[in-house]
Amino acid sequence: MISTQFPVYLVIIPLAIAVILPLLKQHRRLIQSIVSLTVGLMFFLALFNWFELHSFGAYAYNFGGYAANLGIQFYIDELTSLLVLFILFLSFIIISYSFADIPHELEPHQFGLYYSLILLLLFSMLGMVYTNDLFNMYVFMEILSITSTAIISIKHRKANFLASFRYLMLSSIGSITILFGLAFLYMVTGHLNMFEVHKVIQSVWTTYPMNLLLASGFILTGLGIKSAMFPLHVWLPDAHASAPSPSSAFLSALVVKVYIFAMYKILFRVLGTMMVKGLGIDQAILIFAALGMVFGSIFAIGQRDIKRMLAYSSVAQIGYIFLGLGLMSEQGLAASLFHIFSHGLMKTALFLSAGSIIFATGKRKLSDLDGIGYRMPVTMIVFSIAAFGMIGIPGVSGFMSKIYLGLALIEGQHPIYLALILLSSFLNAVYYLPIIIAAFLKEDPENRHAMKMDPLPKRMWIPMVVLAICLIVIGFYPQLIMDIIEASLPAYLVG
Amino acid sequence: MFDVLLKHMNYIAAMALFVIGLYTVLMHQNLIKKVIGINIMETSVFLFFVSIGMVQNGQAPIINLKDASVTYVNPIPSALILTGIVVAVSITAYSLSLIIQLYKQYGTLNLDEMVDEVEHD
Repeated sequence: MISTQFPVYLVIIPLAIAVILPLLKQHRRLIQSIVSLTVGLMFFLALFNWFELHSFGAYAYNFGGYAANLGIQFYIDELTSLLVLFILFLSFIIISYSFADIPHELEPHQFGLYYSLILLLLFSMLGMVYTNDLFNMYVFMEILSITSTAIISIKHRKANFLASFRYLMLSSIGSITILFGLAFLYMVTGHLNMFEVHKVIQSVWTTYPMNLLLASGFILTGLGIKSAMFPLHVWLPDAHASAPSPSSAFLSALVVKVYIFAMYKILFRVLGTMMVKGLGIDQAILIFAALGMVFGSIFAIGQRDIKRMLAYSSVAQIGYIFLGLGLMSEQGLAASLFHIFSHGLMKTALFLSAGSIIFATGKRKLSDLDGIGYRMPVTMIVFSIAAFGMIGIPGVSGFMSKIYLGLALIEGQHPIYLALILLSSFLNAVYYLPIIIAAFLKEDPENRHAMKMDPLPKRMWIPMVVLAICLIVIGFYPQLIMDIIEASLPAYLVG
Repeated sequence: MFDVLLKHMNYIAAMALFVIGLYTVLMHQNLIKKVIGINIMETSVFLFFVSIGMVQNGQAPIINLKDASVTYVNPIPSALILTGIVVAVSITAYSLSLIIQLYKQYGTLNLDEMVDEVEHD
């Protein structure tokens, strides 16, 4: 297999380039071409690795040739490489959009620094997805929490500093809690490699139930803070709303998902389905997920700022993902993974179109958006498609994730949660539809009856259109992603 | 009773420090105190992690070729915590630099006053 080493390259390349970028200072063209070449190259490496995986199957990569119980290990299976491919694809789209938007939002000398942070963010996200070592995961998590705070605070505005400070405090509490949990796990098992820990846990979990309950409680609380599970979501709206639009898209579509994927790994690779059910963790996840679905949407209704509304909507959508996860069945897990992909695409499209509105008009308040559909038709059509997906209108990928989730709920005998999904979809419609109606049907106070092309550079609207096309394609052919997910799931649900 | 307490001193100390740190972060409105609280929490976890690598009558884990019967303490937790300390320092450095910027922008270190000012804008 030629691409055995590629996962390591994928982690090292962005780290190396991130160090070089700040040295280039003000050469914007050069920075742009280096960053897009890097991410493009990484995408092709990941694509090649993904193709080869299909014929060769999952494999573990031991660093330095040390055995699994001694050294650090990457574990690459179909799901991991699909997620990496997705992260790189979305990053490429967001980055090519940001080349036009970032000079508008930041000062000229920060241009190189911003992309340096973005590449570090990519580095830590890919590392967290690939790694099979608990402590290694913690280190990548800390790098991710610093870089994701830094891409908020890079914009020198009062609100940004405050939002990023709160985010940093809460995510530090989260990572310390996770480390505490890892200490308990290490105490019981004496290993840090996920498979080794799982092997030991299988035989000892009836002997040390208290210890393992504490460990999983600490780890899941920490990851819950970081992935904005409902009662722990307080940092999210400020952080995602005040960040520059490309950063918001990164944070909402990718960073949160990486933490959720880490939670999958802890639940299925480390603890195992049997223990999760034995300790009753799945019930707790279901309840918090359902609360998040409903309350996230209710909070979103009350917002007046477009990006804050989108941020609260993320809280609700993360609830859907956790709902599928809490079912602990194959269909539930597949539905929640599918929603990770479809929510990533939809939220990116929404944040990028909100960013374009702010870029072109400077307006952020929802009440100022009357008739904006005539001045920015492309942007608003992309926004509407993604919003339809959020509501769950057939033909967009969000509808398919709701169908899958609903089927999984019926299979798992949880009709109450199905009713809550319907309620949450209705609430989604309550806050998304008025924007679309106001944009296309209300009169623009400034220039009426004038349909014009968006006043946006090509760099900004092409990525948005690509996203909208992806959403519709996945809406009609969900099997493109679902087949891969279903093929790779059995490996996760053993034990 | 007293014996049990003494035997599990590391657990009790770590838990107490953890709770003190968490209380400081959540209840104090002064930003510097919040950072101190985070540091106390980190210290509690480091203390706990290192203490679980303890072996009764263990030596420092340096390979002694002459005498193979010497028992060593588990070196892995110490090595991990060394990395953990580096991470903790970088988090502290970054949050302190944020505090400097916040003080320049708001002229105060009190979180409540900052929130009030943002909401008035």
